[in-house]
Amino acid sequence: MKAEPRYESALGTWEGFARFKPQGMTLFATALSAFLLVMIGLPVAMVVLMSLRTGFPGESVPFTLENFAEVYLTPRTYEILLNTVFFAVSSVSVTLLIAVPLVWILMRTDIPFKKTIYVLLTIGILIPVFLRTIAWILLLSPRIGLLNKWLQELFALSSPPFNLYSLTGMAFVQGVSFVPGAFFMLAASYRSMDPSLEEAAYTSGVGKLRTFLRINIPITWPAIAAVMVYLFMTAIAVFEVPAIIGLPSRILVLSSLIFTSTTPSTGLPNYGIAGAYGGIMLVLGLVLAFLYVRLVKQGKKYTVITGRGYRPRELALGRWKWPALGFVFFYLSIEVFIPFVVLLWASLLPYLQLPSAEALSSLTLKHYIEMPNHVGARPFINTLILMFAVPTVTMILSVLVSWVVIRTQVSFRGFLDTLAFIPHAVPGILMAVGLAYLGLAYRDFFPLYGTILIIVVAHTINWIAYGTRTTNSVMIQVHRELEEAGRVSGASAPRVLGKIVLPLIAAGVMNSWIWIGMLSYREVTMSLTLMTRSNVVISTVVWQFWGSGWVPQVAALGVILIIFAVVVVGTVRFALSRIGEIGSAT
Amino acid sequence: MQRIKKIGIGLLALLVIGGWNHFAQAAPLDDLIAGAKKEGVIEFYGPSTLGPEGAQAIASAFNKKYGLNIKLNFTPSGNMTRDTAKIIGLSASGQTPEWDIMVVTDAHHGSLWLRKLHRPFDYASVGIAKERVEYDNGTVSVANQFALPAYNTKLLPAKDVPKKWEDLLDPKWKGKLGVINSTHHWGRLAAGPWGEEKTIDFIKKLSAQKPLLTRAGEMAQRLILGEVLVSATLQDSQLHESKESGAPLAFADQVSPVISPEYHVGVIKNAPHPNVGHLFVIFMASAEVQPVWLKYTGHTSAFVPGTDAYKFAQGKQVVYMKQDQAEKVDKVSRQIGKILGFD
Repeated sequence: MKAEPRYESALGTWEGFARFKPQGMTLFATALSAFLLVMIGLPVAMVVLMSLRTGFPGESVPFTLENFAEVYLTPRTYEILLNTVFFAVSSVSVTLLIAVPLVWILMRTDIPFKKTIYVLLTIGILIPVFLRTIAWILLLSPRIGLLNKWLQELFALSSPPFNLYSLTGMAFVQGVSFVPGAFFMLAASYRSMDPSLEEAAYTSGVGKLRTFLRINIPITWPAIAAVMVYLFMTAIAVFEVPAIIGLPSRILVLSSLIFTSTTPSTGLPNYGIAGAYGGIMLVLGLVLAFLYVRLVKQGKKYTVITGRGYRPRELALGRWKWPALGFVFFYLSIEVFIPFVVLLWASLLPYLQLPSAEALSSLTLKHYIEMPNHVGARPFINTLILMFAVPTVTMILSVLVSWVVIRTQVSFRGFLDTLAFIPHAVPGILMAVGLAYLGLAYRDFFPLYGTILIIVVAHTINWIAYGTRTTNSVMIQVHRELEEAGRVSGASAPRVLGKIVLPLIAAGVMNSWIWIGMLSYREVTMSLTLMTRSNVVISTVVWQFWGSGWVPQVAALGVILIIFAVVVVGTVRFALSRIGEIGSAT
Repeated sequence: MQRIKKIGIGLLALLVIGGWNHFAQAAPLDDLIAGAKKEGVIEFYGPSTLGPEGAQAIASAFNKKYGLNIKLNFTPSGNMTRDTAKIIGLSASGQTPEWDIMVVTDAHHGSLWLRKLHRPFDYASVGIAKERVEYDNGTVSVANQFALPAYNTKLLPAKDVPKKWEDLLDPKWKGKLGVINSTHHWGRLAAGPWGEEKTIDFIKKLSAQKPLLTRAGEMAQRLILGEVLVSATLQDSQLHESKESGAPLAFADQVSPVISPEYHVGVIKNAPHPNVGHLFVIFMASAEVQPVWLKYTGHTSAFVPGTDAYKFAQGKQVVYMKQDQAEKVDKVSRQIGKILGFD
């Protein structure tokens, strides 16, 4: 007589699964893996394929190494690679210089106005990067930058102190825009950090700054390192800042080079060259992803977050309260206030001007009133489709992946988890170029080119790594007693998932849903790479306006977008908090 | 008597020819109208300076004239060169073009013509003057642009305004110039008065001035702000637009020769709505369109006496592009794009 198989999950034994047919679960996991493999693997395969071909997508041409020779035998490629690394390292440095003190101030001290600061940080995330970049041009351009002009006058300088049109300038703008993301990534480790070492230092009379440098930073170092690698990977892939600041002054990085290879300003698209450049990005991405996973694991190994029920004591800032508030205000100014004010100013002018009495007298609401004539309904509809479809599909896939990875004993669940993480190693622009190639060259098989669905696919792939990280962590925290009870009562596996697991993880899933929705709303690189006349979204409309020189209209649309995003996120968050209250009351 | 007979026969012949002509014009036109009615939509790509309002104004006049109710979807050009390349790429991949008709410059239509990407139509058969039909019945001329160095009148003193093209190479402009991605402007000079060698040499020296590189619309904004003091070339479209908003931009109009890109309209090969497309091209060639085009883009035809473009061209050496120059303009423009660092 054969013994009944027992299924042990990563976190223990679940008797309920013993009755679940192994073939059913394995089949489901296989199908899910195959689906993800195709979805993620095909665009990556396309990048490799196009690097081995010349001509246009779909043209029947033999395989060749010509593109690799053209790319890798040119010194320019290595200059651009150096530019890319410098830009990424500098951006991450700027981010950490601001984010680490900021997270310490907000998580470990008694600084006032915390809730307001959180809200403003969220608003910072909602301001699209390209709009902020435009605002920074108005502030730091060597010729017209307001800040440059004021500083020159103030200190009688012969030349402007800042030059935005440099790798450092680009890194500054990019680095500042990374801060909110880094803040929220680091917040958890600072919030739940065991305060005993910190308190011991204070008791021994060590100063606040010294404690911060010698205790807080070393303790949270694994988390900081993981954020560094994560941001480095992102910095290699970003496109908006390199396009708006770098391209006009011929400062190229890999992402802008890939974009201009497929959508050139003066020549014809060269997908082969883009693919060959993409090879560098792919290798870099995979190495960094490997490093990131190792750092996260290491972080867990040396964690000082314990299960003890404690609430870390907030450090009284005392006379340091005002300098700390000043620092936070400085950051919020460069992240939120100044860009928003610059956009508002530009949106009210007939044409872009620096502040003056003449400019003040010409303020007008014309661009807001005329906006419906410039932007039809289609971009708004497409954007709403993205904001709804991308997080929905991503979170459905993420829940399913996490369910298999965390709750089952399927032998290849580790592979599935890795597969879902791989998109994080593939820069979005490359994924989009791969999808464009797929749509153009194999349109009969993949008839999505030119539709909004191709952008939905690109965004879903891009954020599935984030989605699965979230659902993995929330699913781990849910105890399985209720699921077991459901299974013992005879409920099927899908019913247990739908009726028991999902409600328990709903809050975490919904938070990620909102976050991915907002990322999708503000994303421009992939949307631009895949843009055709019928899948235009708001972010690409803004891009087109900028290219057409309609700066006041861009600014007006930017202000509308920011207000729209704040209202949507505020409403959804309020609604969710109400649901939470009702849920907790019953 | 003999003479009266001859006149009578002549008149009769004229009547027959005229009638036949009218019939010949009406027949294809009626077919197009009937086809357009079925298609119902037109995807229209045109200069961003026309704007959605201008495009809809043309659409209204078009519908009124032919008794149709065609919906016009307007795509403003952000980058004509890039979008022309996109059409070429899509066609090579066997994809349907995004637009039925494109109003782009003759240089851009030249690039399409070289790759046989127009859907020709016998426009002369519906009464359009042969002089306005180009690229083997692929396109019809609509209006003329002019391109010259441009500057901000509030920021650049009159004495510093360039007076000849070579003035742009003065070291004093280093880091203060802008060059737009309409490299066909230089391609025209290469195919015309300057020749290839002189043009390439000029461009290399211009590139050494480290100009800021952007698209035309963006360059106008940078000129207005003073970030760039002189744009090596800019189209009068941008000047018209800035004039409308009160921005202080002007041409360095002593510079010669003046480059004149011509806006052409043509139906793209495999366009999804070819009947509306051809009908629209015919309409674009009509006199009704000229005032609308002038109002929104500031352009008129340089070959119609009395128009602004005609007056502007008087007494100036103007470089127009011919069909047989298309290949050279196409090739040299790409080369120049690379030298300047656009791609």
